[in-house]
Amino acid sequence: MGYTLVYTQVLEFLPYLIKGAWISLQIAILAFFGGMFFGLILATIRTFGSKISNNLVICYVTFFTNTPQLVQIYFLFFALPEFGILLSPYIAVLLGMTLNAAAYLCEIQRAGFLSIRQNELDAAKTLNFTLLQQVKYVILPHIMKVLFPPLSNHYIIMTLGTSMAAIFGVEELTGRAFNINSETFRSVEIFSITALIYIVITFIATFLLAIIGRYFFKAKIRIIQ
Amino acid sequence: MERLIEEIPNFFTIWNVIFLAKAMGVTFLLTAIGCIVGFSVGGLLAIFRKTKTILLLPIRIFIVLYTEIFRRIPFLVSLLLFFYVFQIIKISDDLFLIATITVCVIATAYIGEIIRSGIESINQTQWDAAAAMNFTYYQTLKEIIFPQAWKVILPPAFGFFIMFIKDTALASQIGVMELTFAAKVLNNKGFSPLLSFGTILILYFILSFPLDRFGKYMEKKLASNRN
Repeated sequence: MGYTLVYTQVLEFLPYLIKGAWISLQIAILAFFGGMFFGLILATIRTFGSKISNNLVICYVTFFTNTPQLVQIYFLFFALPEFGILLSPYIAVLLGMTLNAAAYLCEIQRAGFLSIRQNELDAAKTLNFTLLQQVKYVILPHIMKVLFPPLSNHYIIMTLGTSMAAIFGVEELTGRAFNINSETFRSVEIFSITALIYIVITFIATFLLAIIGRYFFKAKIRIIQ
Repeated sequence: MERLIEEIPNFFTIWNVIFLAKAMGVTFLLTAIGCIVGFSVGGLLAIFRKTKTILLLPIRIFIVLYTEIFRRIPFLVSLLLFFYVFQIIKISDDLFLIATITVCVIATAYIGEIIRSGIESINQTQWDAAAAMNFTYYQTLKEIIFPQAWKVILPPAFGFFIMFIKDTALASQIGVMELTFAAKVLNNKGFSPLLSFGTILILYFILSFPLDRFGKYMEKKLASNRN
């Protein structure tokens, strides 16, 4: 033993770490909405596309859901320069996370598509709803009720996934923890504080998402499981 | 591209293949141990979580805290935390052991949640009926709840196994000799990153794809049984 935990030295760096957490959040949000966008396109192709395009999307999804995100980013970061495409670490991580998220979110959003029932659309048409009204009053409330819990779940998973960016030298929360670690060598203290910040930010995210889900989409999400 | 094709025979020498196969074994072992321990301990956690006596309240609070905390720390950060804690308490220097323990701790938290939600998916009336027939808690779980709940538990559990095959890639960061680390070693030896990382992407795919298929197959089969 003979090791005493000293937090004072590390606490000086707390503002620095919290700014890092902000960058983590940025990456998570950008990658999430990027993934939502591509996932929506993929899910549309998967539901309405021809057989060939359908199979291509299935290949994409199985490949990206069955290989580690870390190795995918490694591949983007180290193998693409062979073809003359040089990505900065931040862009490589963002691109890797977006591509990965697109695969997962495609599956989730497809489940949402499948949850719309034809009779409901017919009923809306009989009531002379315009397309916009159909989307607003019939499709969205239904889809979001089904989709909101898995989407918010995936957002939390992605927030945790941003810690991978540290490996490529992006200075987000974990990356900044690495920096402080090599400066002070108070490893246990630093990483316990980093873990605590992650717990806090994911908890806040769960809380906000639960409130949004309850009030806007009537989706039932429990804050503590 | 031509350079790449020239490199392929040099890359797939018998030594490199054995090296990669060993690394693949380590990845598989990490996941397998994590899942077996996670399933048994996580199951216990879920069972204790659903008890109602006031005596076990501290245990329930501990379980809630445990699952809530370890599901909210990134795997990378918890790996590093365990790594440095082990350096302080000097129990062992074995990197594989440290990675295994971390995997087990995290897997327990996640699988405990999966099993708990499986138990909760069973209707309250079933519990009431069991209570009316004077079943003990253990009997209710064994005879009534689990035979129905495992159909809800299995599909997400398979998803979780796959997730952990992929997450063990992060163990390369503390120096465990698994697939990602092997690729980094090969890359540092001078092989093209396209070849080394491309190969392990395929190897990871080979590991997790059968599980993925099997999970989907089970899901379909169980879903048709349930209705």
